[in-house]
Amino acid sequence: MIELLVTLALLTLIKSTPIIYAALGGVMSERSGVINIGLEGMMAAGAFTAVVVSFATHNPIAGALAGVAAGACFGYLLAFAATRFKVDQIVAGTGINLICAGGAAYGLVVLFNQPGASPQVASLGSGYWVLIVGAFAIAIALQWILYRTPWGLRIRATGENPSAVVSAGLNPLALRMNAVVISGALAGLGGAFLSIGELNLYSDGMTAGRGFIALAAVIFGRWNPLGATAACVVFGFFEALQYVLQGQVAWLPANALQALPYIAALVALAGVTGRVRAPAADGVPF
Amino acid sequence: MKRLTRFLTGPLGAVLLIVVLMSLAMVVAGVSPLDGFSALITGALGGRNEIGETLVATTALLFPALGICLAFRAGLFNIGAEGQLLIGALCAGALGAAFTIPGPLGIVLLLLAGALGGGFWGAIAGWMKARFDANEIIATLMLNFVAAYFALELVSGPLKGPLAAGAETAWLDPKYWLPTLLPGTRLSIALLLALALAIFLQWVLTRTVFGYDLRASGEAPEAARRSGINIARLTWLALTLSGAIAGLGGATIVLGELHRFNTQLSPGYGFTAIAVALVGDLQPLWICLAAFGFGILESGGLAMQASAQVPKDAIHVIEGLIIFVLAARRYVATRVEGGPV
Amino acid sequence: MMVTREAALSLRGIRKEFPGVVAVDGVDLDLYPGEIHALVGENGAGKSTLSAIAFGELQPDAGEIVARGTVGLVHQHFELIGRLRVWQNVLLGREPRRGWKIDQAAARARVLEIAASNGLEIDPDAFVETLPIGVQQRVELLRELDRDPAVLLLDEPTAALAPAEIERFFTTIVALAARGTAIMIVTHKLQEVIAYADRVTVMRHGKIVARALTRETSIEAIARAMVGGEVPAVVERVETRLVPSLRVEGLQAGSGGTRLNGFALDVRGGEIVGIAGVEGNGQTTLADALAGMCTYTGTIERRGTLGIIPQDRHLEALVMNWSLIDNTLLGRQHRKAARRGFTLDFARAQRDAETIRERFDVRAATLNVTVRTLSGGNQQKLVVGRALIDDPDLVLAYNPTRGIDVGAAALVQSRLMEARNRGAGVLLISFELDEILALADRVIVMYRGAALGSFDRAHLDRAEIGRLMAGSL
Repeated sequence: MIELLVTLALLTLIKSTPIIYAALGGVMSERSGVINIGLEGMMAAGAFTAVVVSFATHNPIAGALAGVAAGACFGYLLAFAATRFKVDQIVAGTGINLICAGGAAYGLVVLFNQPGASPQVASLGSGYWVLIVGAFAIAIALQWILYRTPWGLRIRATGENPSAVVSAGLNPLALRMNAVVISGALAGLGGAFLSIGELNLYSDGMTAGRGFIALAAVIFGRWNPLGATAACVVFGFFEALQYVLQGQVAWLPANALQALPYIAALVALAGVTGRVRAPAADGVPF
Repeated sequence: MKRLTRFLTGPLGAVLLIVVLMSLAMVVAGVSPLDGFSALITGALGGRNEIGETLVATTALLFPALGICLAFRAGLFNIGAEGQLLIGALCAGALGAAFTIPGPLGIVLLLLAGALGGGFWGAIAGWMKARFDANEIIATLMLNFVAAYFALELVSGPLKGPLAAGAETAWLDPKYWLPTLLPGTRLSIALLLALALAIFLQWVLTRTVFGYDLRASGEAPEAARRSGINIARLTWLALTLSGAIAGLGGATIVLGELHRFNTQLSPGYGFTAIAVALVGDLQPLWICLAAFGFGILESGGLAMQASAQVPKDAIHVIEGLIIFVLAARRYVATRVEGGPV
Repeated sequence: MMVTREAALSLRGIRKEFPGVVAVDGVDLDLYPGEIHALVGENGAGKSTLSAIAFGELQPDAGEIVARGTVGLVHQHFELIGRLRVWQNVLLGREPRRGWKIDQAAARARVLEIAASNGLEIDPDAFVETLPIGVQQRVELLRELDRDPAVLLLDEPTAALAPAEIERFFTTIVALAARGTAIMIVTHKLQEVIAYADRVTVMRHGKIVARALTRETSIEAIARAMVGGEVPAVVERVETRLVPSLRVEGLQAGSGGTRLNGFALDVRGGEIVGIAGVEGNGQTTLADALAGMCTYTGTIERRGTLGIIPQDRHLEALVMNWSLIDNTLLGRQHRKAARRGFTLDFARAQRDAETIRERFDVRAATLNVTVRTLSGGNQQKLVVGRALIDDPDLVLAYNPTRGIDVGAAALVQSRLMEARNRGAGVLLISFELDEILALADRVIVMYRGAALGSFDRAHLDRAEIGRLMAGSL
């Protein structure tokens, strides 16, 4: 029994980690006023790039860094479109998701000649614990940065009223760009954890909606790094539960268990009725 | 300069972009654009079979695109068309395998079942949005996954066809098959149904009170609310109808194309349909044209992959880019009340 | 009091164009240290645009700006962040630091310091959204003062202040000027201009049409320069027979500072009842309750039909991307007359739009252009026309002439008077006391969600009303 609980706890940490990275990215982005629907795609980009670089260099750390860079690039793309062209952020984010998912699939064939999944590559091995602890450490750091530092205050101000930020002599667009690039980088890192942290390859669709579950965590956690992290742990728990319970409970089919995290996200969304307020300028082009 | 941007981010610009990007993808894959495009076009329109398949894809895209269009016009982003389509198809396939109702009535009932199934799936998100102001983007996407697992569970177990090799229902009785439109191909009258639906939708949007209310709530939510429109009810209705149309589309895939249900019946139609709706400028009649264009890409893409060795995923990347570029036209009215939209 | 003749801020040849309209057309302006300079003009004259350019928020298409020192701007619609605290708003961008983090104690101290040196009271830790509007303005003022500006621009600073607060406000400003700051006040309140400003400049249609020392001119002269002629008169009031139209009793609605707690009101057909009050005292809650837009307990009894003129035409009354015809239907589309079964009667809508265009002087190229292309005044005339076209028994007009030019305002006021003359009851809620005093048969003051005092036309006491508006009983 104790063994089961320990496994469950460890598995929860492992499963929460990628979602935490993505959710922290979501928090940073939305706090500055940009809704990042493209987290899913940025995770996929990070996951795929990490595998490709790890394959080429046999160095998983290089792979992880490349994953961060890939996520940051797509973050930059979204940031640029949102601040320079004032596009509809949601549609743009959706576009990025499709680009990344399709791009990875395309890349699998063009680079590895293998549709569906990449060959196995050098993974982080037990080094993945660095990323797991890192997720929580970064959460604490971001909480502090957002609420205690000048830059954090300015980011929050941008998300509430960009005009006020202009009045204060600052540049809200630049602040948004920074926040969104960071959000992409974090999502990319989360993706890299999925492919070369937990596993050692990339397979089509491996992000499995985590970028969106992360968004639910952001809302549930009230746009606050620690709150979002807590929510991610809950969702990670449901994902972990599925592994632990599989085969154990006869009447609970595997497919139902696999659907649990998604149902949990739905319930979470419904549960925060009217008691949460997004940053006032969230999603509004400036 | 402004006119140029307007053109480039509009439907025609999208077409131009597709051509340019496809050429790029071909070159990267080591294929000359000339060979690539000729494989694409021949694969899509080269013969009767090919045209049939292209129109099959067109139909499969048109239904969810119309549903997504309806939601968009109400200011709602439905990315759950894939799941709604699946549930609709499941209902049609499962009920068709279980019951025997003769003749056209049977077909109509199964199509209705598909619409109801998809409508129910959309209604879940609609209710969540109306009642809890839950973000419909996240909700509909989560429901996609739930639908996939739900369908998989049912057709691996209780609904599995007795002779089926994998996770699918039994083949439907030919009495349930939609009549073929183009003899010798898989194209059924579902295409006509979709076109009729498009015309109907256009009429609803532009001439009816419901359409007026829908568009108002999408373009100016506060003004709409003060004009006596019940926004909560409209939201719920829009997402339900959106799902119903997608579900109807799923049912037509089962009845017209595959004649059974399996979980692989959609290669991402629900997502491609978003691009179709946007390229069609959220107008039902233009969407028909856009669906045809994307139908060419989808069916031609398979041939292109087979004969010219260009992975068909290039098409999905391009669809993503189209959507990204068209975001500059600001389709969805952002509402900031409690949740991000 | 002039210290030196060197201008603190010089604008030369400023020009700014927006699609379809030249907002500022070749403006020269000098602001001198120690002087209070009033910039007046009717809505749409270009005053706010010019301030934004002087502040640096907006880039001019042509012209030169020379500033000797920092320029500060207190906006008409405050640029504050409600969810942050006072000190965070005041010191955004200039946060005192200790290592990597913000030194909160130093921040609070600094805010108290600037406030004290300007004779103002403030709580640095309060969340701005919880503060009354007059105090919020103080926050914005402090933010600008912290930058030690050589030039301070104020856009409609007294629009949301009660008479007593206005006095306090000008005390602060006069003291600032005495210390050498160059001050420009954009306003349309001519009594304040004469009372407090040293110089006045009049703008009309983007150009400067008059400049004077205030001691050498008068309110009438300034008003004439603003409008370029005589101010159009409002239709005459006639004797009417009063019938019951609206009865409100024990109305409870809303929450927080703008809550209504037992509000009572009577409006009869044939009279205009004016609700006077400073913004933020529950007027919006009242309007929403009457329009059925919020929940309430208590009695609202209304006879006949209701026409509504909302306070924000952009957000609440129009779909900006739609045509005039489509907007004519908005709010009326569910009535039997507007439909034929499931479809809308567009032919009728077109006729209605034509009627409104004629009767309310809506200037538009065609009825099919989008409402966005119309000027503010024409948009408002459309909204008013739509509210009145079906001859409602009761009209709810909330700031019906806000932000529109004098000509359009006069027309709107005339149409409201005509509706009253024809027997409709009009409930006029306005933040402009002058408008209320000019139009109302009865005036009720609203303060903190309650009705204070009722004055009929024969016994209007402006001073008393002003006192009630500020809450002194």
